[in-house]
Amino acid sequence: MSEGLFTQLLDLACGAFLLAAVIVLWRRELTAIVRVFALQGVALAAIPVLLGVHERRWDLVVVGVGIGVLRAGLLPYLVRRALTALTAGQQRYGTDTGESRETQPLVNVAASLLTAAALTLLAYAVARPLVELDPTPETQALPVGLAVVLIGFFTLVTRRRALSQVVGFLLLDNGITATAFLAAAGVPLIVELGVSFDVLLAVLVLQILTTRMREAFGTTDIDDLRELHD
Amino acid sequence: MGEVSSVLLLTVPTALPLAVAGAYALAGLRPRTGSVLAVPSTAEPVMAGGRPAPGTDGAGRMPTAVREAPPAQGRHLADWAALVSPAGILACAVLLALRVSGGRALRAYSGLLRADALTVWMLLVVGAVALIACASAPAHLADEGEAGRAAGGSVWRFHILVQAFLAAMCLAVVTANLGVLWVAIEATTIVTAFLVGHRRTRTSVEAAWKYVVICSAGIALAFLGTVLIYYAARQAGIGEAWALDWPTLAARADRLDPAVTRLGITLVVLGFGAKAGLVPLHAWLPDAHSQAPAPVSALMSGVLLSVAFAALLRYRMIANAALGPDFTRVLLTVIALLTLALAAALMLAQRDYKRMLAYSSMEHMSLIALGTAIGTPLALSAALLHIAGHGLAKSVAFCASGRILHLTGTARIGRVRGLLARAPMLGGAFGLAVAALLAFPPFSLFASELGIARAGFTAGMGWPVAIALFLVLTAFAAITARTARMILGPGPGPHADEEPSSNLWPLVLGLAACAALGITLGPLAGLLTTAAHTIGGR
Amino acid sequence: MSGVGYVAVAGQVAVVAAGGPLLAGWMRQVRARMEGRVGAGVLQPWRDMRKLLRKEPITPVGTGPALRIAPALVVATVAVAAALVPLLSTDTPISDRADLILVVALIALGTLALALAGLDSGTAFGGMGASREMTVAALVEPTILLSVFALSIPAGSTNLPAIVSGTVHDPARLASPAGLLATAALAVAVLAETGRIPVDNPSTHLELTMIHEAMVLEYAGPDLALVELGAQMRLTLLLGLLASLFAPWGIATSASWAALAVALALFTLKVAVLGAVLAAAEVFWAKLRLFRVPELLAGSFLLALLAVIVSYFLSSES
Repeated sequence: MSEGLFTQLLDLACGAFLLAAVIVLWRRELTAIVRVFALQGVALAAIPVLLGVHERRWDLVVVGVGIGVLRAGLLPYLVRRALTALTAGQQRYGTDTGESRETQPLVNVAASLLTAAALTLLAYAVARPLVELDPTPETQALPVGLAVVLIGFFTLVTRRRALSQVVGFLLLDNGITATAFLAAAGVPLIVELGVSFDVLLAVLVLQILTTRMREAFGTTDIDDLRELHD
Repeated sequence: MGEVSSVLLLTVPTALPLAVAGAYALAGLRPRTGSVLAVPSTAEPVMAGGRPAPGTDGAGRMPTAVREAPPAQGRHLADWAALVSPAGILACAVLLALRVSGGRALRAYSGLLRADALTVWMLLVVGAVALIACASAPAHLADEGEAGRAAGGSVWRFHILVQAFLAAMCLAVVTANLGVLWVAIEATTIVTAFLVGHRRTRTSVEAAWKYVVICSAGIALAFLGTVLIYYAARQAGIGEAWALDWPTLAARADRLDPAVTRLGITLVVLGFGAKAGLVPLHAWLPDAHSQAPAPVSALMSGVLLSVAFAALLRYRMIANAALGPDFTRVLLTVIALLTLALAAALMLAQRDYKRMLAYSSMEHMSLIALGTAIGTPLALSAALLHIAGHGLAKSVAFCASGRILHLTGTARIGRVRGLLARAPMLGGAFGLAVAALLAFPPFSLFASELGIARAGFTAGMGWPVAIALFLVLTAFAAITARTARMILGPGPGPHADEEPSSNLWPLVLGLAACAALGITLGPLAGLLTTAAHTIGGR
Repeated sequence: MSGVGYVAVAGQVAVVAAGGPLLAGWMRQVRARMEGRVGAGVLQPWRDMRKLLRKEPITPVGTGPALRIAPALVVATVAVAAALVPLLSTDTPISDRADLILVVALIALGTLALALAGLDSGTAFGGMGASREMTVAALVEPTILLSVFALSIPAGSTNLPAIVSGTVHDPARLASPAGLLATAALAVAVLAETGRIPVDNPSTHLELTMIHEAMVLEYAGPDLALVELGAQMRLTLLLGLLASLFAPWGIATSASWAALAVALALFTLKVAVLGAVLAAAEVFWAKLRLFRVPELLAGSFLLALLAVIVSYFLSSES
């Protein structure tokens, strides 16, 4: 693969990666959010695959495929399953309990989109020393990873549906993984495996907790979690 | 020969609890059919039972609970089996202590596992606290059984998760790879999530949700920081296999790019600080500690916080070599003082004794952070001693609070009166544990707080230490007033509901150990000095 | 050079002026066919205009000059912008002055004139339409500026012909993330600016939802004809701009008659295709609720900003 084509494709993958994070912030329907999240997983998986093909490191390609299976297949599947479980009762009784929509986030959508713009700028500012250390096409795209981390954190903090928070956490994690690949072609394999396993288990745990929250509170609105306080 | 034994000594602390967990899983699965895998098998029944029909759920599970309740004999054996792994951890720690004297380190699996004096110290603390917690667990489980809450596999699940929790903490302590360290600490979050949310009531589900979300997100920041340090290390010419190896990084940290390292260390301090109960991501701590079963609270408060903090101690070495000591000193001092102020302020208005103990954990973690910020040999030794003393005293206090909760049925401070009259032994143990936490002599926290204060004043950090002492005094007043109200005064009736002594011996043991550490370090003195030396006290 | 150049400029203005109503007719026709109706034919807007022009001019009592000059100003600004934007040729005598910021300012001037006219009419609907139009414009104008700016970074100039000819010579620029983001942002901005679904519905007179129509409710006769012409020309111009920026193939970069003829044919084709796509999309979309519109526009603004950021930082030569 030529240098120019590699840079183009890498930039394309990073652009799609960032765009997916923004669209997650934009949409309210959780089903649409999960679909976009899966697409982001594909863009994320493309980064190590491209790096691997470019540097002829086939282990990276394999890691990329594994990441793709996990982030674009398994994790969205789990979230979607939790969503179906939550909305099953709603369809049965024909009532709209608002479980499948992010009806009123803490910060409204227009303002959160503008915040996302500010966060992206912040990511570029923060990433200056990282890029200056070794200016290659990969590290030049590092701010994209950091921006997705920040957007994920923002989603986590401002969204009120339990599953939106899960997606926010996963965005955060996608951003970190992208940063790892762009900065240093990924962390060592054993760490990568451990991290992926931890994330998978964390999502499983959160999925079960969502179900229990629905049982205990009758809703998955985080605002209802106010029993414990000082 | 030495090679084989060091591999064995490093593997056992992690492998033994895992093996015990596996044994529990097999024992718990025997009446059932299905998967043999340990962790998923605990997760699956919950999902299957919990998901489809919320209304019929609770009623649907009860009959199975009755059917599957193991016979008393088997349960008794199962309770004692839980003590195998703390004992094994302690034994390994003692054997390792003999081999790491003089600053040597043992390695296994091409450097993945490594033991130095700090590792051994932390293993000792983990083992001791786990011994107290696991020995108190049978009483807790019996209560749950009485109350009809110990349904079906929940006893087995409790044992499996606690053992897995121990394994994850031991792995976090014995690994030299910073990536594996992160994986292990994140694993503790996942494993303990169901222990925190075991009751499925609104409060416990809320606590578990906050716990998982805040800790996972916070610790994800630590991973980002780790990635950035890995990047800096790769750029500094360290090979892929060694760029996350702590000894390598600590030795060559002066070559890391300062700007990248600064960013990475800040993220790491925030991330592992979340897990250690330091601001700004501390919000999960009081909720999780007050909702978890008492033995689990004891483990979480007594050692999980310090295991996360031990990770910070390792990173501090790298940061100091790359950036000079001022960066982490300022960062940790600010965080410590903020945490201390917050904990003291919230303790003043506290009405729940388990939450009060949780805020007291934050107070002690911030003192340890302050000691680390001071960074002289005396301060670091004192911080490490404080970790041990706090672990012992706090686990006793939490286990005792679990018994008090069982006895009185309330966690409100205002509704508990005259404990000493009602149950003299239990009330005495709780009172002594709180006295230890308040740093009364002869308990070791007295010596360690004194050490931190002295080191602070000699190292020119008089003002922060003075502020910290004032805040500690505030917390002291708040805790004393509340505890006195709980344990003094006349009892509700003439009869004493004394606990059976089999439930109390772990508490007495813990208090004795804490007091012994305060009187003399004995053979541990050398280990403590070496450990402080390992993390930069020179 | 000069002869072909001047013809090209005149041709651009003429194509936009004559093609605007035709495009509107074409879009209505496409829509009618997709909805299973026969449709009024492509020439219907021209027939409407002829009818309106024959009526006597009427000005409501108590209105000032803003209402009277607005229609002429709208048409004039679009005509000047059409002369500047490289729709057919990048090599015209005035291409040096075809600055991006100037073009956006001209379009904004037309919008402002109409909003003032809406206020001047003194009716409730006029004022309401004007305030809504300004709300939309406040987010749309920066979006257009930013998205074209993102494209101008690789060209190193805010001169539109320079940007377009640069893209003709190096099509790879469009496949970059900056190019894609800017395309998406500009497409949304064009929809909003021309008052199409999902931001505004050009064929509604429902007071709850209308934006553009509310402002021009008081016009009749030749003035209405001019306002309608202005709106149709603006749609043509903006679709043409979109086509020039993101599918610049065929635009004459040198002064030759053959190239100009090819450019004319291709321009017609591109705008017709875009119009057909837009009409088809309108069949399937519903209009957004008014308070959701800022979300859409903030989103497109964010896309444009990301495009700028990405083209600044991501490109390896920076």
